[in-house]
Amino acid sequence: MDDRESTGRRSFLRAAVLGVAALSLSGRELLGAARGPGDDMPDAAKKVLREHFGTRTIKDGHVSLDLPEVAPDSREVPIFIETDLPMDAGHYVKAIHLIVDHNPDIYVAGFELTPALGKASIDTRIKMRRSSQVRAIVETNTGELWWAHKLVYTTLNGCV
Amino acid sequence: MTPAATPLTGDARILLPPAIQKDAVIYVRALVAHPMYTGMSRDEQGALIPEYYIKTVDVTYGGHRVARFQWTSGISRDPYVAFPLRATHEGPLHIAWTDIKGRVYTQTAAIAFGG
Repeated sequence: MDDRESTGRRSFLRAAVLGVAALSLSGRELLGAARGPGDDMPDAAKKVLREHFGTRTIKDGHVSLDLPEVAPDSREVPIFIETDLPMDAGHYVKAIHLIVDHNPDIYVAGFELTPALGKASIDTRIKMRRSSQVRAIVETNTGELWWAHKLVYTTLNGCV
Repeated sequence: MTPAATPLTGDARILLPPAIQKDAVIYVRALVAHPMYTGMSRDEQGALIPEYYIKTVDVTYGGHRVARFQWTSGISRDPYVAFPLRATHEGPLHIAWTDIKGRVYTQTAAIAFGG
């Protein structure tokens, strides 16, 4: 851990990351990472969705999710979630939920917002145990649910 | 990161833009020093370090709550968060971070126009 800043280890890590990324093109299932939107979502993650949202429909759109494709440090993965949905007294984004399919705590965070913010976005840093789909779900005060997701490749377990 | 370079748990900062115009949407950046242990890491003797993380973050502006965040140990060490805020009036922006041991860390910044 102490030598993690050294260039030797850095370049090794980078090579390892590229190797894993290249490998994944031919055999994604080896990594156990989901391929598309909702398809290989693990049962545990589906359960978390059910617990939070019941049988409500979550639609694609209105959410933009900015994450690295390959996380150089899985202990600190920068994430930026933004939505173009209105933030007025009558119609606003009530919450942004953050889910990482393969993390020990699948529901990573919930951000409750109010119209006083004027816009709805969150910028933070998360930990990732391994390569996984990362999902941001935006909930409006009228009960609509919108989401975006992105597959992020990692090397080391960052859940420390 | 050497222990000496690590800030004290609970050191908190709020960063605001240098000049704020009335009714503009600004971005507030907030940082707090906290280990955010997952309960899955081990110390130098190989013993598991119990989980210890910030669970809730309350944001008030002029005395009214404008946001509340619910976190797990999946948020990185020394948590950073940035969020928008419409600067409708001058007043204190107050953030309180509460961890699972019930310790509360707070910081306040003044929203003032001009600059």
